[in-house]
Amino acid sequence: MSRALYPLASLEQVEKSPSREDGIPADLEEDLRAYGCKLIHQAGILLKQKQVAVATAQILFQRFWFVTSMKQFGIGDVGMGALYLASKLEECPLRMRDLINVYDLLLQRAAHAPPSGDFRYAPMSYFGNAFYDLKDALVVAEMQVLKRLGFDVHVVLPYGTLVNYMRLLDLTGREDAVSRAWGYLNDALQTPVYALYPVPTIVSAAILLATRHLHIALPSTPPNCWWELFDAEWDDVWSVCGYVMRLYRTRSAEDEERVKGMLTKKDVRRWLEEHGDR
Amino acid sequence: MNYVQARETGEGTYATVYKGRSRTTNEIVALKEIHLDAEEGTPSTAIREISLMKELKHVNIVRLYDVIHTETKLVLIFEYCEQDLKRYMDAHGDRCALDPMTVRSFMYQLLKGIAFCHDNRVLHRDLKPQNLLINKKGELKVGDFGLARAFGVPVNTFSNEVVTLWYRAPDVLLGSRTYSTSIDIWSCGCIFAEMISGVPLFRGRDNQDQLLHIMRIVGTPEDRVLRKIATESPEIQLKQYPRYPKIPFSQVLPKASAQALDLLEKLLQFDPSKRLTAADALNHPYFTGTVNMTYMPSAGAMQLPAYNYPNPHAQQQQQQQQYQQHAQTQQQQQQAAYAQQQAQVYAMQQAQAQAAQQGQVPPAYYQQQNYHR
Ligand SMILES: Nc1ncnc2c1ncn2[C@@H]1O[C@H](COP(=O)(O)OP(=O)(O)O)[C@@H](O)[C@H]1O
Ligand SMILES: [Mg+2]
Repeated sequence: MSRALYPLASLEQVEKSPSREDGIPADLEEDLRAYGCKLIHQAGILLKQKQVAVATAQILFQRFWFVTSMKQFGIGDVGMGALYLASKLEECPLRMRDLINVYDLLLQRAAHAPPSGDFRYAPMSYFGNAFYDLKDALVVAEMQVLKRLGFDVHVVLPYGTLVNYMRLLDLTGREDAVSRAWGYLNDALQTPVYALYPVPTIVSAAILLATRHLHIALPSTPPNCWWELFDAEWDDVWSVCGYVMRLYRTRSAEDEERVKGMLTKKDVRRWLEEHGDR
Repeated sequence: MNYVQARETGEGTYATVYKGRSRTTNEIVALKEIHLDAEEGTPSTAIREISLMKELKHVNIVRLYDVIHTETKLVLIFEYCEQDLKRYMDAHGDRCALDPMTVRSFMYQLLKGIAFCHDNRVLHRDLKPQNLLINKKGELKVGDFGLARAFGVPVNTFSNEVVTLWYRAPDVLLGSRTYSTSIDIWSCGCIFAEMISGVPLFRGRDNQDQLLHIMRIVGTPEDRVLRKIATESPEIQLKQYPRYPKIPFSQVLPKASAQALDLLEKLLQFDPSKRLTAADALNHPYFTGTVNMTYMPSAGAMQLPAYNYPNPHAQQQQQQQQYQQHAQTQQQQQQAAYAQQQAQVYAMQQAQAQAAQQGQVPPAYYQQQNYHR
């Protein structure tokens, strides 16, 4: 009795994501995905939420954009809905009010904070429209994530696998390698890889990056390649490494500011009108 | 909407269940309505139930055909079953106790369903007679996956608030959060005893009282055993418990056969690691034994067909006739209710059309996974 434990995007979905179909360039989509995941991460910290719930939310968020365009839903709302949903799935539910307050803060900060960083948050009133609008958006976003993913919300996190593999590779003694690989796994949550590749491939990529960085030699010449121990294909491992390394490339200030003005579907639509023919 | 709703058939802990009919296939279905709460969004029970049941296709698990998602509610469309085990025992039992053949048939089917869940890494966590459904063919189907959860390795930090008290495993009562498939096995044992005797085996008022009820029958475990359980689940806080001796199950259930008692004993082990798995329980002599038929091939070599046990309704011709009459009047009532329902259905269709206009067309993922052919 075998079934896929978690759904992965099809090749077609990868080549032509719904946002790209709507004219959103690939690099902009990539930046918006990453920024949406950063917001989830920051909200998780402010809410003292468990990492498993935050990671699950980020993976659901990434999957969502393989079935929906950013012209239809904003990354702010969907991120908030995904975190709310993931917290239920991991049995550490959040209070709606807390989550809404935190997202309101994060969204305002992104929209209004000058790069120099002098920002004063004006808390909203519980009875004002802003609160109710966000609450509606949250309920709709949660439902849309469920509906569009066909309730396929099972997520497998990579941490246990990493610990296993490090043990098999006899690397548990290298604290630096373990924590570095762990860090890559977390950073990879800002990329779509968890919606694209099976966990063993992603964990192998994290180990590859960590061991290369620390100059730790592992058997890598055929027929003795360590990643084959974990049924990972070199090309896939390499591709995951690529996704992660792209996060660290230096970006222009414009690119960094661009995403902050595109957190809602309204912003995205406006951008598309202005940049219609690219 | 593709379903016509008729009368209410069941009220659960969080949903109302109606009997209905599919417009496309004419099949009778159960509609489980769950209202969406503005304060909570989609209830986690519904999320769990749908995400897990979509995958679980087995004769002994209630089949989820379809899900209808509107602005204000979720409707889960299930295969229809005549009644739940609780009502079945009230109606068919001798002071609620079932005859041995029926008990064996139901127990076999229950374990089949649970073995399938466990094979697919799903814990049910809320097994009780109200959540087991019986259809008119005498098939038992596990339902209500509202508290179920997928498990991987390792299984930990689960919620401690699961399983209705009377069917709750002692390790969970002690505070374990690292429980696994063995908690469902405990519940199966409790249900087994209840089918034999007609009354719930352990009826505690609260957590602590429930634990004492269990110890009064299975005996207070030795300190060594309690400590072992606590080491395996470090979140458990042990207290001092009165020293109760074990009472043999043969005294508690004088009617039960020796083999039934032996199986029960192996399901209701205080130490979760000692409980049988569902798969092993299915191979217990209670099911495979060939009493008084020494000329038969050895039990182990015999392959059990899906339904090895006589359908408990086969000998109940009379009942069947009653059922048919009942079904007829039901049909009439249904027709009367039909017109009234049309208005409601129409409102639903409107809501759906509206949703579609707002750009909320069913997505690719969802369409691919349409449960209904
Ligand atoms: N498929 C079904 N066919 C017939 N009756 C059902 C069906 N599912 C549920 N019921 C009835 O409705 C009751 C409540 O359903 P359940 O799924 O247990 O809801 P809850 O999660 O609210 O407890 C059950 O105890 C049973 O009597
Ligand atoms: Mg129920």
